[in-house]
Amino acid sequence: MIALLSSVGVALRGGDEHEGLTLWTFARPHAAMYRPIVDEWNESHEPAVDLELLSLAAVEQRMLAGFYAGVETADLIEVERSIAGRAFTGPLEAVGFTDLTDRLREEGLIDIINPPSFGPWTSRGRVFGIPHDVHPVLLGYRVDLIEAAGIDVSNIETWDDFKHEMRPLIVDTDGDGEMDRYPLAFWPTDLDKVELLMLQAGCSLFDADGRATIDAPKNAAMLAELVSWCVGPDRIAAEVPDFTASGNALKLEGYASSYFFPDWMCDVWDKELPQLSGKLRLMPLPAWEPGGLRTSVWGGTMLTIPKNVPDFEACWEFAKHLYLSDELARVLYREGGIITPITAHWDDPVFDEPSPYFGGQAKGRMYIEMAPQIPSRSSSPYNRRALERVADAGMLLLQYAESNAVFEPDSLRPKALELLGRAQDEIERQMARTAVFREATSGGTD
Amino acid sequence: MRHRSGPAPYILLAPFLFIFALFIVYPLVRSLGLATERSFGPGTGEFVGLENFRLLLVDPLFWKAARNTLVFTAGSVFIQLPLALLLALALNRPDLRGRSFYRLIFFSPQLVGLVFSGMLASLMFEKRTGLINQSLHAIFGFSLDYPWLQIHIMPMLIITALWMYIGFNMVYFLAALQNVDKSLTEAALIDGASKTQRFYHVTLPAIRPVGTFVVLLSIIGSVQLFELPFIIFGQTPYGGSGPDNRALTLVMYLYRQAFETGDLGYASALGWIIAVFLFIAGLGQLVLTRGDRA
Repeated sequence: MIALLSSVGVALRGGDEHEGLTLWTFARPHAAMYRPIVDEWNESHEPAVDLELLSLAAVEQRMLAGFYAGVETADLIEVERSIAGRAFTGPLEAVGFTDLTDRLREEGLIDIINPPSFGPWTSRGRVFGIPHDVHPVLLGYRVDLIEAAGIDVSNIETWDDFKHEMRPLIVDTDGDGEMDRYPLAFWPTDLDKVELLMLQAGCSLFDADGRATIDAPKNAAMLAELVSWCVGPDRIAAEVPDFTASGNALKLEGYASSYFFPDWMCDVWDKELPQLSGKLRLMPLPAWEPGGLRTSVWGGTMLTIPKNVPDFEACWEFAKHLYLSDELARVLYREGGIITPITAHWDDPVFDEPSPYFGGQAKGRMYIEMAPQIPSRSSSPYNRRALERVADAGMLLLQYAESNAVFEPDSLRPKALELLGRAQDEIERQMARTAVFREATSGGTD
Repeated sequence: MRHRSGPAPYILLAPFLFIFALFIVYPLVRSLGLATERSFGPGTGEFVGLENFRLLLVDPLFWKAARNTLVFTAGSVFIQLPLALLLALALNRPDLRGRSFYRLIFFSPQLVGLVFSGMLASLMFEKRTGLINQSLHAIFGFSLDYPWLQIHIMPMLIITALWMYIGFNMVYFLAALQNVDKSLTEAALIDGASKTQRFYHVTLPAIRPVGTFVVLLSIIGSVQLFELPFIIFGQTPYGGSGPDNRALTLVMYLYRQAFETGDLGYASALGWIIAVFLFIAGLGQLVLTRGDRA
């Protein structure tokens, strides 16, 4: 009876009568940064914007529910890269985001935004969101530990140099027979780091037409190399989880001396590990070969407008105000450590300010120098699943290396190829059940 | 003489029938329809008949999920339930002092909930900083880097579930043991039956209906396993199914297909396979307990 009465009540109540626009964001820092901008906008503009902070999972479920079942979503949604791809399954006309390509071109916005930043939001040549960030990656190292070991990081240009120069850091500090310090925080099961290293090396899991290329020989060679970092006498890497109390404890004790630092990670460390202030420095990533790429990319967010919004023009005006303003660019950097993708703002002096956490380095400028070079990324809806399978292959290869005492990358390569072949089969099976694969064979997915 | 009841029964039944139709019958029929469609992303799909069921039967991931689920179910039925019965037998002894305290201790994991238990388990089994590796390292010099959460995932889930549910099942067995007719055990004792004979020939038959019910509950709960691996691995990049899909269960696979891949048809087909399996398990329980009710 209660259920019946509730159902009748809900049915009679109808939908919420929204006077203004609603913006969903999933990140607390984003909400804090946007609040003053939204308030200022609402003082002089109609319709007003209502900013709502939701968990990432809630944004994902409510957004996809809206696209699947046609129920109401927000007028503007901030979407993180890991969930955006899911909306790109199926034909273009089924994508729930508004295609912004023509508007971006007509208004010249496509020319003022860092081109690689559009990658994750582009499907089959069409752009579905305004990029929020660039997220170039640098290497952060514990200067106290590295100087104490007598290492000069200016000698490091490539990963081979890194392995060689950093070797003195590997020590057993308590004499229990286990090493207590490694040069690098990395493990083959860490999808994000596997992806950024593969991207830096020019590897890709999907080709320009959206077909899976997981078991490409280049990917197998890369996986074998990465696994060789984590096993055997030449091991240089250790598993240090991010965003966990145990991971932070390991960071504090210096279990690993170097970490991958996308721009947003600087702010995470600053807030979660204030004890390490002044003990870290940033440097470009070592390249895979002399003269090679010294950065990569990790993470990303876009602002998108669902197709079914009643007032697209109002949404578009606010989206441009929020994402393109120099005010937000400064706030993004000061409060989140994030570099704006709007190239016109890159001359702002805020990016030259010294960072006390990183020993006075002008980290903003360091990231901006890397921003135009970040590798392009796939927006395939299968990218996440493919990465999971690559990480599985990495874990199985690690176990194979340990049990067979095979540690050289060249010797691990055939097994890596076999394991990636299994991953390829699984993703192809998944793709074969959905239309995007069939579309891709004739149209293409970026 | 026939009794004319008028429309009153229908009016009284109408709310239930309406809700039942809306929330049970319609979703069932809709999911059956979905199981015969191939989804092409949001709002699109085409009729493919029984193709989803055929694909499932040749899908290695489905079989991996089925195997993982079966291993967990076997762990629940063949390890957890006998241990729960043993505990109940021990705590049913009238001469045991502090019985209520022990019962509370064994039941208490139920009070803290699955989320807490799952998070605690994931912390305990962590590399380097976890309690298990730290203890084993301190006592036996065991490697701090041993990756329990990557290698021994199913045993870890079974142990966590054991801790969580053993007290819960113990309560069922305790209730059954307390209802065993004492005159029967006394008669067997007078006839010279040993302790073992009294257990197998008097106690066990007497608690069989409850035992069968607990087994059925355990099978249903195990086949629907989702929350525990989701909590332990949900915050990892694997999103619940664990490295190499070693924590992938049938319901987890259903969830991932439906809500991560958007393949609603395939997920519905999988849901129906799980439902049929549970229906067969329920029928098995009916058959096994038929004699008890006669």
